[in-house]
Formats: sequence, C-alpha cells, structure tokens
Amino acid sequence: MSATALEVLSEPLALLVTMSSMALAALTPALHYHQFGDPSRMARDAGLSALLVGGLAYSVFCTVRTFRREVESGTMQMALSHSVSRRMFFFAKLCGSYAAYLVFAVTLASVSLTVVNGAEIGGALMRRGGEIRPIWGVSFALAVSAAVVPPVLAAILNRFAGFRFTITANALMAALSVAGIAYRFDARLAARFLPVAAMLLLPAAVFAAASAAFAARWRANAALSAAGLLFAAALPLMGNYCLPDVLYKGGSLPAWHFALALVATAPLAAGFAVLGAETLERRDVEGGL
Amino acid sequence: MQEKREVIIELKGVEKTFRDFWLRPTVKAVDGLDLSVVKGEVFGLLGPNGSGKSTTIKMVLGLLEPSAGCISLFGLPPRSIAARAKIGYLPELSYLHPFLTARETLRYYAGLCSLDRRTAAERTRQLLEMVGLSDVADRAVGGFSKGMARRVALASALVGKPELLVLDEPTSGLDPVSTNEVKTLVKTLSKGGMTVLMTSHLLGDAEDVCDRVAILNHGKSVAEGRIGEIGTSLEEFFLAKVGEGRSFEVAPFLK
Repeated sequence: MSATALEVLSEPLALLVTMSSMALAALTPALHYHQFGDPSRMARDAGLSALLVGGLAYSVFCTVRTFRREVESGTMQMALSHSVSRRMFFFAKLCGSYAAYLVFAVTLASVSLTVVNGAEIGGALMRRGGEIRPIWGVSFALAVSAAVVPPVLAAILNRFAGFRFTITANALMAALSVAGIAYRFDARLAARFLPVAAMLLLPAAVFAAASAAFAARWRANAALSAAGLLFAAALPLMGNYCLPDVLYKGGSLPAWHFALALVATAPLAAGFAVLGAETLERRDVEGGL
Repeated sequence: MQEKREVIIELKGVEKTFRDFWLRPTVKAVDGLDLSVVKGEVFGLLGPNGSGKSTTIKMVLGLLEPSAGCISLFGLPPRSIAARAKIGYLPELSYLHPFLTARETLRYYAGLCSLDRRTAAERTRQLLEMVGLSDVADRAVGGFSKGMARRVALASALVGKPELLVLDEPTSGLDPVSTNEVKTLVKTLSKGGMTVLMTSHLLGDAEDVCDRVAILNHGKSVAEGRIGEIGTSLEEFFLAKVGEGRSFEVAPFLK
C-alpha cells in the first residue's frame, strides 16, 4: 500500500493535477472581473469544484496508471510470485491510491479553506469601504505560494540533497496548505466548508474503485474510456449531490445528508473493488516488457 | 541405488493455450509437458526462443493457469499462498518499480514475504552487500544500468530465503564477471539445500550449473537427462534434439 502511495505521489501527472486544481481554487475567486458582491461564495464554489473535478481526474488517472503500469512493467508478476493473494494485492494497491488521493484532497481542501477565509475578510472590507478587493491579499498569497513554492523548494532539495522531486513537492504542498489554514482561522467557516469537501471525497472513491476494476481487466485506454462512460452515466445523479437548502441559508451540512451520501456511495465503491479483485483473481497475469 | 528425494515441482500433462479477446486459440505454448524437480537439485529448462520455457515457469509460479494437466509445488497447487511462500523468482527482465531505491525495493519484497522490520533490514543490508550495491542503496533503481537492476532483482528473489529459486535467464544482461558470480552463487545455494529451476539460452552456463536439464521445443519436452550422463557436450546434445535451425538469408538490398 505504501509503495503504491509513493508511486502515485511520484507521478508528474499527479503533481500537475494537484497544482492545477490549487491554482483553479485560488485564482478563480481572485480575478477582479468577478464582482457580483459575494466573493466568499465564489471562493467556496471554486474550491469545491476544483476538489470535485480535480479529485475525479486525480483518482481515475492515477489509479488506472498505477494498476496498468504494474501489469505492463511486469512488477505485478514479481509481487504475485510471493506469498500474496491476488485479492490482497488488489486491495492494497487500491488503498495506496486512496492514500495518495487523500494527500491531494487534504491539500486542496486546505488551500480552498484559506481562500474562502480570505474572501470572507475581503468581502467584509468591500462592504465597509466599497473597495474592490474580492479576496484578502495575505490569504491569496498563502494559497498561491502553497502551489508555487513547494516545486521550487523540491527542485532545490532534489539538486542539492537528493530528495525525490515529486514526492517532496507533494509533501511540502500539503504541509504549506494545511499551515495556511492557521492564518485567521474561522471555526464557523471551517465547519460549513469541510463537511461538504469531505462529501466530495466519496464520488472520487467510487470512481477510483471502478477505475481499478476496469484496469484489472483492460488496457489503460479502455479502462479510462469505461470510467468516462460511467461518469457520463452518473452525471444526472450528481445534480443535487451536496446542495441542500441549508447551505444556502448559511448553515452547516447536516450529518444525515453526509450519512445518506455515504450509504449511497460506499456499497458502490465496495462493489467495484470486489469486482476488480475477483477479475484479477480469475485471469492470467501476463505483461512485462 | 539413488535415494528417493522429495519432489518439489511436478508437472503432469500440462498444456497452455493462449487465446485472443474472442477466446479463439492463438498459440499452444506448452503441449503435454511432464516434468519433476527434486529437492536440492539445479534443474535447467532449455530450449530455443518461443519453446515455452517462460510460460512453463509462469505456470509453476501460479501466474498463468494451465489449460490442461496439473502442477504441484511442494505438494500444493501453485496458487496456494503456502507454496509461494517458499519461492524466490527472478524473471527474464528485471521488473522493478523505478521510483523505489534499491533498499526500498528489497524492503518491499521483504514485506511481501511477511518478514518483520528488523529481519527485513538485516537481510536487505546483507543482500545489498552480497550483490555489491551497498554504495548505491539509496538511489532510485529507475536510474540503474541493466546489470545493476539485475542484481537488485536477484537480491529481491533471495530476500525471503526461499526453498525454491526460480531463475528465468539469470545471467541475461550481466557481464562475464557478474555471470560467474551468479553461477557460483547458484552452486553455493544449491549446496546449502536450495532447489533451483532455471532457464537459459546459454548452454555453457547451464552446463556449468545444472544437475539435470530438459530441452523444450514447440512446447514439448524433447529430451531430459543428467548433465553427466548426456555423453556429449550440452551444445551438441541440444542441437541434436532441436535441430540446427535455418540460417538467415541476407536480404538482397543488404548485399
């Protein structure tokens, strides 16, 4: 599991998706032409959209890639020639993908929360002075630095201390993003934002399990296509996924709504995981260069 | 009279037919193979390219399911966890995770062998020293040369202290000095009681190391015998059983 998490975090693609999502979450509400008077809501929506879209891309691409690379490079043969059952191997790889995705989710949710916090401050300043400042500068700087500084630091550490670039960059991004929340921490805001962000992890978990199941049977392109079709089929169901009225009225996400989402998605994720494990159990393990 | 030794690997009437997406048979890689390997011997599986050696090894390891016949490994089915706990496998190409260092690679395989942390760390240290990679233990194996990757793969195969070592072309990609080191290692491990099943294209290597060989051609065993009892060089024996093959006729534009 840890080897898979390290593998996913070593992926340049994973780093790219994380950086793009962070940039999306930080920059979208900061652009000055969004002047509808509610920068905080814009920041929340941008952060959550980046978490959902970036999260789906991250979980699907990285899961398919880690499974297919294991098959096609022959390392799966090496692993399965040891005393490891194929089901165990499948679940360990899936858990490794989840662990890497969790790093992404924590990073992005933290950056988004920092931006939302900054937007609340910026919004308050706007209301007081009428100045166009949709997002508070310090929060904006923190959020953008969390995306930009880690790769630079990681490159320096790679050059002079032999640290692995992508893993170091991911770790620093997560650390800086989480640290950014501490700046003028607003517990009420966190209580509103984080449960919704947590709910968005659930569809990504389903799609990761589905992608792993597809990758256990088909090549990368076919597995990605199948995941895409599944996404298209699921889109109509996601319309009202986490938008109960209570959020509009300034409250927090009720626990029952989260529980409902969990009940709806957990069996799906488990079903796909079992399907993938059984597929791997029943087929010949080939591959290798 | 020869003492009766424990049979480690037994294949009876094993066949393997590969099929395409529509389940149509594409190639019969192994065809009615009978084979047995006893404890402590070094058994060589020889044959030309495409003769079914690697397919046979993968069936022995439980990676491929035979289309017919049966295989037993330590008296158990090859897919059984208990049987595979006693195996070390070196594939034809060194399949390694490029992002892991040599040390992490050995720890990863030690983990798959369910070794505790202290044992894993100690065996990792000893094996890295054995294969001469202690100095580069913390470099990612993706940047290793073919020979260095081969050494890491060999160490990975040994980390679980297997009773059966399965080597697919063990000297492939190694220079003559390293080749000799591997041959000496195989002989030493065999003397210590380890059973070895290996394939090789290099008949000289097989002759130096193996106690017994089987020659495969078109998925069938065409000859089997002890090295000392062949009565001729292994190369002559091999060519007599497999045939000289055809020589390339140079394409006209190359003349």
